[in-house]
Amino acid sequence: MNPALTIANKEYSLANRSLSTYIIYGVYLLVCGIWFALNALKIGAADMRGIFGVMHTLFLFFIPALTMGSIAKERSTGTLELISTLPIKLSHIVWGKFLGVLFQLVTVLLFTLVFVLLISLFGIGVDYGAIFTGYLGLLFAGAAFIAIGMFASSLTDNQVLAFIIAFAISGALFIIGRIGNLIPLKLFATIEYFGFDYHLESFLKGVIDSRDLIWFAAVTIIFILLAQFRLQAQNLSQER
Amino acid sequence: MLAVKNLSRSFGDIKAVQNISFTADKGEIVGFLGPNGAGKTTTLRMMVGYLQPDSGTIELDGENVFDNPLAASARIGYLPELNPLYNEMTVEEFLRFIAALRKMKEPYLSERLEFVRDNCGLDEVWKQKIGTLSKGYRQRTGLAQAIIHNPDLLILDEPTSGLDPNQILEIRELIRELGENKTVILSSHIMQEVQALCSRVIIIHKGQIIVDDSIENLSSYISETTQIVLELEAENPDFQPWLEQYPQVQLTDIEPKDDHLALRFTIPIEMDLRKELSAFVSEQGWYLISMYRETQSLEEIFHLLTSEEPFYTEEEEKEEEEEVIEGEEISSEEVNESEAEPEEETISLKETEEKAQEESSTKEQK
Repeated sequence: MNPALTIANKEYSLANRSLSTYIIYGVYLLVCGIWFALNALKIGAADMRGIFGVMHTLFLFFIPALTMGSIAKERSTGTLELISTLPIKLSHIVWGKFLGVLFQLVTVLLFTLVFVLLISLFGIGVDYGAIFTGYLGLLFAGAAFIAIGMFASSLTDNQVLAFIIAFAISGALFIIGRIGNLIPLKLFATIEYFGFDYHLESFLKGVIDSRDLIWFAAVTIIFILLAQFRLQAQNLSQER
Repeated sequence: MLAVKNLSRSFGDIKAVQNISFTADKGEIVGFLGPNGAGKTTTLRMMVGYLQPDSGTIELDGENVFDNPLAASARIGYLPELNPLYNEMTVEEFLRFIAALRKMKEPYLSERLEFVRDNCGLDEVWKQKIGTLSKGYRQRTGLAQAIIHNPDLLILDEPTSGLDPNQILEIRELIRELGENKTVILSSHIMQEVQALCSRVIIIHKGQIIVDDSIENLSSYISETTQIVLELEAENPDFQPWLEQYPQVQLTDIEPKDDHLALRFTIPIEMDLRKELSAFVSEQGWYLISMYRETQSLEEIFHLLTSEEPFYTEEEEKEEEEEVIEGEEISSEEVNESEAEPEEETISLKETEEKAQEESSTKEQK
């Protein structure tokens, strides 16, 4: 097995043994569920856009909570030193950890399929295509959030600080799309491009635009590489 | 097998390791001894590739570790300081995880798992979570992790710290067995450990090697003389005829002890005159009760070598350099005369000897 997959597997199975993971999952699903119960059913619209928006917004808290320990905790307990001296590359460690959290995100998103089930039972004219692309968009956006969180986690060995840094960076990228009425329109048109909302929009409409895929992939790769450089810069090892 | 050459590493202004060179061969257990903060862990971390040196090389069988770090780390087993482990995993899961990252495959994997389970005494806790283990079992798990791939070079950073005396003995026994066909480098700040385990000791202080020699030779770094204490039953023994044969020897002390006498001879370190002494005593018809050679304990040596601050003044350092050059010349002549010893080793021994003598003389001056 690829070392990155071995690490991803370990990350995922260890996360599943931790009570805090279930609390994080639970809170996330609970808030989404409450919103869904209060709004979607009342309106009676066979539409997932609203709930997708909430799910995306909650990523701001949910994903930093999942990623905050990924590197910071291993560094503070010293196990990072242990795995860094094995014959694997640093990129294996970083990407493995990324995949581990991504599996967690997929797990939680699977639970939200309940909403799809309810809508398909009670709604009329459900656009399954848009639901599919919506999930795909959330997955891509989630990957970008995870990469940001991992980078934050690589900066410090304090998990709380890692959470705050991740929240600040992803919050900045999140808020850009919502400050349209605060800044000049011309300027907004330029910086809007750097917001998550702008790129998620077409996914929610049921359109997969390769530019949006590339944008999310680029953010993911850049922050994962930054995390890797950060570990390298600490001279964990040379050219691993 | 392992050759470390001119290794240096600083953290900001702090020179953690300065120009360290040494070698270690297969079947050797080398003790890396030094007070806390001497640079032991930094050196070990560079050897396993976790830290990069500012300058210098580390060679495994002639190949630079940093040229191909992955291939090198496949041959190295490492037990980090404080023995970090994943508390949520069971012992078996943890070892399988490490083995998977080391790309070990069946049936070799099962064979090695069985080996470490039996040899590290992990049978009882095999399915137990690491977080619930006692410190002794944790340490064994750490050691099992380090040897699971049967490495050529085993690097152990304070392997027995925090263990109770029985656990220490067990771990030492295990390390001793492992050391028979591997190169083991182990760091410690505990004298007895090094004395009990290692064939060779490297004392490191303020990032520099101040002694690199076998345990037996260590005492010679402090004084040029040793003492032979002789206890015998005789009335007014006269050693004058014997002492005339050996002008370097002095009878320094005679004191009555119970119903016999204790005599103390001071002789040069390179001489061992016990045989001659006992022959003389029996010639004279005296009763020999006991005779022993007094050597300084490793603890004293360590204390003497590392307690002074600053270790070198600048002037002393210059003198030191000059002396080293002289020392090299002398030693290379010696090598020509007797080719029994490899040249490199002789030089390093001389150098450190010089340092130690320098050290003891400055101590005396104070």
